[in-house]
Amino acid sequence: MSLNLLYSLREGVLAMRRSRLSTLWTTSTIAVALTLFGIFMVLTFNLQRMIDSVRQHVVLEAFVDASLGEDAVEPIRATIAGLDGVSEAVFISREQALARFRDAFGDDPMLVLDENPLPMSIEVQVDAAQRTGAQIEGIARRISGIECIDEVAYKGGVVEIINHWSRYIYLIDAVLFFLVLASALFLVSNTLRLTIMAQKKAIQIMQLVGAERGFIRRPYLIQGIFQGALGGGIASCVVWIVFALISLRLPALFELPSWLLLTPMGLGALLAFWGSEISVNRFLNDV
Amino acid sequence: MIQITDVWYRAGGNQILSEINLHVKRGEFVSLVGASGAGKSTLLRLIHMAILPTKGVVRVDRFNSRSVKAGDIPLLRRKVGFIFQDFKLLEDRDVYDNVAFALWATGARRSTIKKRVFQVLAGVGLSHKRYARIEELSGGEKQRVAIARALANEPFVLLADEPTGNLDPVTTEEILKLLRKINTRGTAVLMATHKDGLVKTLPSQVIKIKEGRIVP
Ligand SMILES: Nc1ncnc2c1ncn2[C@@H]1O[C@H](COP(=O)(O)OP(=O)(O)O)[C@@H](O)[C@H]1O
Ligand SMILES: [Mg+2]
Repeated sequence: MSLNLLYSLREGVLAMRRSRLSTLWTTSTIAVALTLFGIFMVLTFNLQRMIDSVRQHVVLEAFVDASLGEDAVEPIRATIAGLDGVSEAVFISREQALARFRDAFGDDPMLVLDENPLPMSIEVQVDAAQRTGAQIEGIARRISGIECIDEVAYKGGVVEIINHWSRYIYLIDAVLFFLVLASALFLVSNTLRLTIMAQKKAIQIMQLVGAERGFIRRPYLIQGIFQGALGGGIASCVVWIVFALISLRLPALFELPSWLLLTPMGLGALLAFWGSEISVNRFLNDV
Repeated sequence: MIQITDVWYRAGGNQILSEINLHVKRGEFVSLVGASGAGKSTLLRLIHMAILPTKGVVRVDRFNSRSVKAGDIPLLRRKVGFIFQDFKLLEDRDVYDNVAFALWATGARRSTIKKRVFQVLAGVGLSHKRYARIEELSGGEKQRVAIARALANEPFVLLADEPTGNLDPVTTEEILKLLRKINTRGTAVLMATHKDGLVKTLPSQVIKIKEGRIVP
């Protein structure tokens, strides 16, 4: 195979110049579709990150009857640790609670109060597999049922809300993905049809002089990849700009790994190549 | 060589060619003469394997119409040059590119292409016009470019379908002279024409075709 790639590249560029308008239209529509998709991908990625971090920190706090001595708490802790779905239960004494409070708020309640106001508690870690809102609520209810437990505080509500919304976000992602898929395939294929029909004579002459099919196809595949990569590249840039601007006002809200930024470009090139591959074969048969 | 054995061709409900037997040997000049619609172009297309016979066999060099694969056809086309009444050139490219096209298409190297293009353009007397655009050329010059392109891959036969159909008598004479020159250098020529006066001056074997059949 010594088929000349430079020649194919040149022909690909020529083909795009000849069908400038439709190339422009295709590239910009792919760019718009992939920008939307890219933005939602970044949102999804970050939402997932937040959900994970909240779930990592799902902790139930069981407050123990204040009249109990520290020694009497141990059997209660052991009971909780033995519950289904509980991975760990740690006793937090009043002194430990106070130390944490100081760490967290940089404030010392003992400066204004004579007595440590913080209660004893048992910190309960939930199994990773049991972190839906309903499961957490179930565990909380069972802990509340244990004697000498005053109250159980938990962040299950937050998890529930995030789970609820993340379902819609994934749905939007899926819809956008199909939008991108359809627009890339349809538009690339349509541009190629126009290009190939405009190039009918050149293709017939290529067949006449003995060009192999692969050689005839190559410029059009290059054209397809180029449109997809360019549209996707523009989308990657726009997504980057959008989140860079957001980060100016709200730093550290979004994380933007580079693989995520490059996804629109890669996806654009890939889909456009695929679309070209399918349609070149079809349209060459009609020449 | 070309060997056509008992070939019949049917298309669109019409019997277009019947019982065709034809042999073109290496280096021969064969003229195919017949009225418009007699089936000359169809016969040339069968040799180029753009179409396959309904019945019978077309053999061209090592290719056989019965066993030829889609992937072989480009290879066959490189060994069978083809020129037409309407030249089939790319109007938006210059002379050089039109000829080089046939070589690019076969994956030849740039340096080889350049040498070969200059060589065939010199052969048809168009070296001085190599960077002219096709639209600036006269009909005769266009046909010379088409001939140069057809010869670029050193075919053993040149098929010519009414090559002078769009040309005036003086230019016609020049093109026929060029075809004769190409033939004397060893390339077989199979020319189809509806003007039987044209072939009188040619030292060629004349085959008459009428309503899809070869007639004496
Ligand atoms: N694909 C086809 N379908 C139907 N009729 C055809 C087809 N190709 C050629 N013909 C008919 O076959 C006859 C011979 O055509 P052609 O080979 O072009 O003749 P010539 O070149 O001698 O003028 C014509 O009547 C033409 O209309
Ligand atoms: Mg004809």
